[in-house]
Amino acid sequence: MRQMVLVTTCVASLVGLAGGNAGVAAGQRDAVLVGRVAAGGRPAPDVVVWLDAPGAPREPRTRVLEQRNMQFTPRVMAVQVGSTVELPNNDRVFHNVFSFNHGKRFDLGLYPTGATKRITLDRPAVNRLYCNIHPHMAAYIVAVDSPYFATSGEGGVFTIASVPPGDYTYHAWRSGGHELQGTVTVGSNTAFEIRWP
Amino acid sequence: MKRVLETGTVVALLVLGVPPADAAAQSVFTEVDVTAGHSTEDVQAAGTQVRVFGEGPKQWRLFAEASWADVWGPTSDAFGAAYPYNNRFRPMEVFAERTITGQRFLVGTRLGRYRTPFGIYNRSDHGYTGFLRAPLIRYGGYWALSNNFLETGASVVAGTSRLQAEVSLGIPQDEDVQRRRRGFDRVARLQTAAGPLIVGGSYIHTQPSEERPWAEGDTEFLGLDARWMIGGVQVRGEWIDGRSFAGTRTYGGYADLIVHRPFMGPVTAVARAEKLDYLAGQRSSFPRRYTAGARVRVASMLVAHVNAIREPAFDGDGPRTSLDVALTFTARR
Repeated sequence: MRQMVLVTTCVASLVGLAGGNAGVAAGQRDAVLVGRVAAGGRPAPDVVVWLDAPGAPREPRTRVLEQRNMQFTPRVMAVQVGSTVELPNNDRVFHNVFSFNHGKRFDLGLYPTGATKRITLDRPAVNRLYCNIHPHMAAYIVAVDSPYFATSGEGGVFTIASVPPGDYTYHAWRSGGHELQGTVTVGSNTAFEIRWP
Repeated sequence: MKRVLETGTVVALLVLGVPPADAAAQSVFTEVDVTAGHSTEDVQAAGTQVRVFGEGPKQWRLFAEASWADVWGPTSDAFGAAYPYNNRFRPMEVFAERTITGQRFLVGTRLGRYRTPFGIYNRSDHGYTGFLRAPLIRYGGYWALSNNFLETGASVVAGTSRLQAEVSLGIPQDEDVQRRRRGFDRVARLQTAAGPLIVGGSYIHTQPSEERPWAEGDTEFLGLDARWMIGGVQVRGEWIDGRSFAGTRTYGGYADLIVHRPFMGPVTAVARAEKLDYLAGQRSSFPRRYTAGARVRVASMLVAHVNAIREPAFDGDGPRTSLDVALTFTARR
């Protein structure tokens, strides 16, 4: 089920650096989109929010998702399609990272402490990672086809920087919840909040 | 059995009741396993393990684990894959470790009480990973090593991600049916990794069990272990050769096949073939065992194990076929 954006008052704000006009054409100074996510009435960390931007340039990068203390850190990571994720084993036990569900299917095999393996995510998907040796280890890498994305932190607050002002379709994903979709105007100086019931 | 399950449940609830630290800054984790099992050898088992681990000061990592488990029924090694089932709530591994990793090297140390770093020795290699029994060469009652061997001392690991050496010096402090006598333990291990293949060699010099007063001399073993994994198929095994005390020789090993292919979903299939030859004159023994089974992730925190075991006749007993089943609940905060 999809829900529309719920615009509320001031807990979070949309900060329009260019003056905050909705529907401003590209070419004006970029804006910063700040918002808050809640689920069940409480702030929701580890939510990935991204904006559709079909013509935006791709800027794939290399990110690190660490295996430490027998867990993945961070537990939720967002990357742009084409990015490479390094998965170093920083525990003194072997790990075996695999993903058999949606998204990219891979099995990196066993590797010891100090070793690093890499994956490149070449299509948009929610990739669920597990360790075959430690069943409680799980992480999500959300690959999005947009340079405008962020993951909410504690308090449910997220920040997407350097967004050209204008109207966008946004998506929000969280573990265990359905994906939300709606519209948001970047640069409108309006508070922006996304809510799951 | 009911009392055991209640105890395990209480422990689980206590752990789950601990308020978690702030998720973004969380540096200490609590984890609990609760297992209940049944074997057609007329054995019932239940156990729980509680672990607390995380980041300590100055980049030291801390780990503490306690275990309680028990079995009811005739003597059996069922469910003894990685923990003692002796109706005692006891600390297992309790250590601090620090590892420094550079671009081309790593060096680390571990201080405290830890599993004997010989061969494939980690808790996560044997505990509730598909097999419900320890390999013959790793069960304390079979004149070889034990997964419940613990060292109190210091270990140092150095090398690279491809080639590592580990040396441990300490005293034995086992939580096993058979406990080694006090003495000075020396354990060394060399490990190399090349692509999907990891090969290790180990050496241990320790003491025989204190419950064998007629056992003289030292315990000494050499071991070779290998793991190969690709595309969800893992083959691993160990081979040891040495003596558990003077005048004897013990050699043997096991080979495991662990398959978790994408089409298998939550099912991991396991199979093991193993042998152990204990040469001690009239007391010689030559057990063999074959295991096939599965580990099934029933839910995110619940794993089921099924093992079918076939043991050919030995020591005057006829061939035996057993079925072990267990459920393990794991929670982490």
